[in-house]
This record gives sequence, structure tokens and C-alpha cells, in this order.
Amino acid sequence: MSLLSVRDLVTEFQSPSGTARAVDGVSFDVNPGEIFGIVGESGCGKSATCRSILRLFGGASAQVASGQIMLKETGDLARMHERELAQVRGRDVAFIFQDPLSALNPTMRIGKQIGEVIRRHRKASRAEAREAALQLLRDVHVTSPERRLDAYPHELSGGLRQRVVIAMALALRPRLIIADEPTTALDVTVQDQILRLLKERRDSLGTSIILVTHDLGVVSQICDRMAVMYAGRVVETGAVRDVLDAPSHPYTQALLAALPGQVSRDSQLIPIKGAPPSLIDPPAGCRFAPRCALAQPQCAIGAAPGLHSRPAAAEGHFDACILNEVSHAAA
Amino acid sequence: MPLLDFQKVERRFPVKRSFGDLLVNRKPVYLHAVRGVDLAVRQGEILGIVGESGCGKSTLARIGIGLQPSDGGRVLFDGHPLEGPDREGRLQMVFQDPYSSLNPRMTIGAQLEEVVARYRPQMPRGDRQAEVQRILAEVSLVPETALKFPHALSGGQRQRVSIGRALCADPQVLIADEPVSALDASVQAQIINLLKGLNRDKGLTIIFISHDMNVVRYLCDRVAVMYLGEIVELQECTSLFATPQHPYTQALIDAVPDVRRPQSLREPITGEIPDPFAVLPGCRFAPRCPLAETACQAPQPMQALDTGGLARCWKAARVLA
Repeated sequence: MSLLSVRDLVTEFQSPSGTARAVDGVSFDVNPGEIFGIVGESGCGKSATCRSILRLFGGASAQVASGQIMLKETGDLARMHERELAQVRGRDVAFIFQDPLSALNPTMRIGKQIGEVIRRHRKASRAEAREAALQLLRDVHVTSPERRLDAYPHELSGGLRQRVVIAMALALRPRLIIADEPTTALDVTVQDQILRLLKERRDSLGTSIILVTHDLGVVSQICDRMAVMYAGRVVETGAVRDVLDAPSHPYTQALLAALPGQVSRDSQLIPIKGAPPSLIDPPAGCRFAPRCALAQPQCAIGAAPGLHSRPAAAEGHFDACILNEVSHAAA
Repeated sequence: MPLLDFQKVERRFPVKRSFGDLLVNRKPVYLHAVRGVDLAVRQGEILGIVGESGCGKSTLARIGIGLQPSDGGRVLFDGHPLEGPDREGRLQMVFQDPYSSLNPRMTIGAQLEEVVARYRPQMPRGDRQAEVQRILAEVSLVPETALKFPHALSGGQRQRVSIGRALCADPQVLIADEPVSALDASVQAQIINLLKGLNRDKGLTIIFISHDMNVVRYLCDRVAVMYLGEIVELQECTSLFATPQHPYTQALIDAVPDVRRPQSLREPITGEIPDPFAVLPGCRFAPRCPLAETACQAPQPMQALDTGGLARCWKAARVLA
């Protein structure tokens, strides 16, 4: 049974020009010990999806309008009262933000910040909390951890700060960690180190991780399964190697064709024409159809298509392209 | 003769002294952002400058275009020293964030016309609008774009406008500082194609500054790798990626996430770019380098490589003298 099961999640943001459905009917499962990647371009709803799980909207007028967020042994997070959800945050599900500097308190020493997380959820003396913080810093391979305990966030490099944030996320041994673009602000050699660290912690503790990123390369590095999002919906999902090596939705195919690492120097990159649609008034039918090179008249009719498996697809590999469905009917 | 020639270029930034430092008359501290860079940019090439944050790549570009003075060495354009920004607009720059580099209160057409008027005064006033339209077409924007304000454009369109504005000066060199880093992958491809086309069709010389090795591998003819203010390797693009000679270049290439493969089992390099104030006499990468030996603590001159490039590592495959 899966650890987290999201069903038909709808999250709405209020804006002066109307209600935007940033997440519009998203379903996915995360298994125990799995690293699940959610990818897409800016505004596709990947961040909104993962923030909906813990209702971390940072003051934006957003709400989970409908759907289920079932966490194993805990219940439906979507129906939980704020006070109950506050207990789930950190203890069962931890969140790692993109910018480690804004996630840390600039006026508090590192050791005390980590200790505070521990003391908030269980009884521990200051000395015990400090000892636990030291061990956590060792676990995330912070060099000279004794010295860092008394440092302030601004005294640390970007990579070290992100290690501290990961240490805090691990402090209460959560079952699930949600990491929203955790390496986007980091240099590539440091990104590599942080990705290895996340994977190593998963391997040793069995923690599930949801990794949200715009970078297909990052997903390819450490994720087991993935979902590709476009305009608030999941358009393709499956095991990482199945999706990246044999993408079946035209959007995933187009994203991969636009990457410069994929083609020889002599061939042209193929950009995706146009721009993503408005989420306040999305187009009928498939939301990618207006930009899709393969679009047919029937693509732009009716409700947005759901996920289905196409013939000969690998197990668990689904996409939301009706043209694949048509070929299924013909076969 | 190189079109743009950096010769022993230096740049130091004074670090602010606190009141306490002044009281005890502490000596001013400098951050050495660019250390004696020699770099010859050839006519008609796309030269990539890569490195991680703080390596000095942007500072070098700003010195090249005269936006910042150098503290030593000189920059020659077409054989003549550049002093301050080029008044004829032969060097133009494109910045990372196209929104903050466009005037929000002027239409695109007016902004572009201004540049044409400034740098090509010989062009009759009546011809300017037609020239702006020609340039909009060149960067694949529809004619109506001239009537719009920057806020009405998408990120990719704005970056096209920025490139178009640079072209209005009819430059010989375009310096692009992380021009695609703020863009989504699908839009990034449009801008990369545009830059490649301008180089191929107009022979425009482009200095392309980036931290993205995949983009550089695809776009550039030659690549300079910078680390802590120094160029540590300079090679033809294909040989740089096929046979990197400096261990830092190797580490950068290894760290690039590949969509075709899961993470390699190879040990990554440890640590981060060290404190730029702690000046080491020898190789600045040695503290993180898996191959470091005692000999690395001696000053490292550039070594000529058998591929025709240069690398600042005594272990590189050198030309046998």
C-alpha cells in the first residue's frame, strides 16, 4: 500500500482577475522508500501540488478545494484541521524549500534552530537537543559539525545551508520529505552532492521523498518514478526510465527535444511554440493542444483528458494524450 | 588578430571596512575577482565562459564591455585599447533578467529606436522605424511588438527584445551574460537557436557566459573554464568535453545531470568554492582536487595542450617540447 495517495486534488488561488485552478484534478501515489519526481515548467502547478499536501501557501489566498490526500496511518490531510496538520508537519511530513537562507532564522544559531525542531515535538533537555542536532549535522556530512552548531546561517555557504535544512527535515524521522526545487539555487557540483545526500538518507532510513524540479536531468539522477505536469494537470507518469527513455505524451516528448544536452551540435533545438494557457480560463480538451505539433481537431473538445495506459506501455506508465487512446482503439 | 583581446586583466573589489576596522587602522581587504586573465576572442566565434557562482565570469564580461574598469592589464578591441564603454556601440551586452534590463515605461519600439538613433546617427530619422521592424523580424517577433510595453511580453519575448536592442547598435561583439538561465527549457531553446543563427548568418561574434554545461556544449565553438578568478582551461568545445584536461573541468562535466542516465557511482568532488580571500600560492582548486599532490602548491602556469588548448594543471596532457 502506498504511503501517500493523492486523488483528484484541486487547489485554487484567488487573484484579482479571477480564480486560478493551479492544481486541477491531480492524482498520484508515493510508495514507502520511493523518490517521486514532479517536473514541469514554471506555473504548471508542481509547487502548488506539493504545498497543498501540508497547506503551506505562505500567505497566498489559496485553498484545497477538493480531493483527497491520504497519508498512511494518519488519514486525509485535506480534511484535517489546521491544529492537527501542524502536528503532521515536521513529524510525519517535512518540507524543504528552494532557498535555504529564507528557510532558516537569521538571528538564531544553527544548533539551537535544529534543537528547537526536536524540542517542539518531544521532551528533551537543551543539552540532549544539542547532542541530537550534532548527530544530525554529522549524518548530513557537515564538516566540523561542532563548530557549525554555534554558527549563524549567514556564515555558511549555500550548500552547507541546504545541508542544515535537510538535517532539520530529518530531525523527527519523518516518513515523507517534500523537497521543492532543493538544488535550483546551488552550483552544479554542490547540487550533485545534495542529490547524493538525499538519496543516501533514503537508502539508510527508508524515507520517501517527493522531489519537485523543473530539471529533467535532476529527476533522471535520483528519482524512481515521476509525474510530468502541464497547466495544473498530470500529463504523464511512470517509472523514470520508462518516461524519459520512451516518453508517450507529446508534451514530454517536446520538453526532451528542447534540451540542448540531447542533440548533436549540428542539429537545431526544437522549441515549443507559444506559451502555457491561463489557469483562470483554461482551453477545452487537452491543455497542451494549442501548442502541440500533433494536435487534431478532437483534442480541443470536452473535458481535459485523464491518464490511461497505451498499448505495449510498461507497467505503471500512463499518459493523458487522447491520440494514444485512439491508436489503442484501432489496435 | 583577435577581435577582443583581454591581456592580464585584473579586478579587485575593496571590501567594506567596519568602523572598528577604521579605528584600529586595519588595512583594506580586497576580493580578487579576476586574476590576470589572458583571453583572445576570435572574429566570428561563439566563445563560452563557464564556471560556478563567484568565479569572476560576469566581472570579466563587464570589463570586456567597459561597464567596469579593470585594475590592471588591458582590453584591446580590434587592436586598440578600450577605455570605458565603447561609444560606437560595437560591443553590446544582453543580461540574464530581461525584465529589469528593459524600461517598463517605454514601448518596445521607442526603446529600440533610441538605440538606433544613438549609435547610428547617420541613418535618417524616417528610416529608423523600418530598421526597428527589420530587427524585430530578425529576432522572430511580430511587428505589433513595437507598440507593446515590456510587461505585456512573456519572458522569452522579452529576452528576444533584449537581443534585438543590442542588434540595433549593429555590434560586432555580443556579450550574453546567462541569457537563458531565467527561462523555461522550451523557451530557452528559442533563444539558443536565435543566438546560433545570428552567429551563423551575420558572423556575429558572441561571448556566451553560462553555468549550464549542456547549453555551452551545444552552442559554443571554444570554451574557457573559470575558477576563483582564473581561467583554468581553454579548449575547442568538442575537445573540452571529450578530453577535459583540468580536474575542475572534469568535475563540472561529471556533475551535470543527464536525462539519459541515473546518477553515476563516481565519487563527486567534495567541498565548495573556498573563501576567495584565502589566497593560495599554488593551484586554487587543489583543496578539492582528487588528484592533488604537493607539487600543486607551486604556482600553476597555463600549459599548452596537444589539442591546441591550454590548461592550468601540471598534470595535463602537455605538448611534448
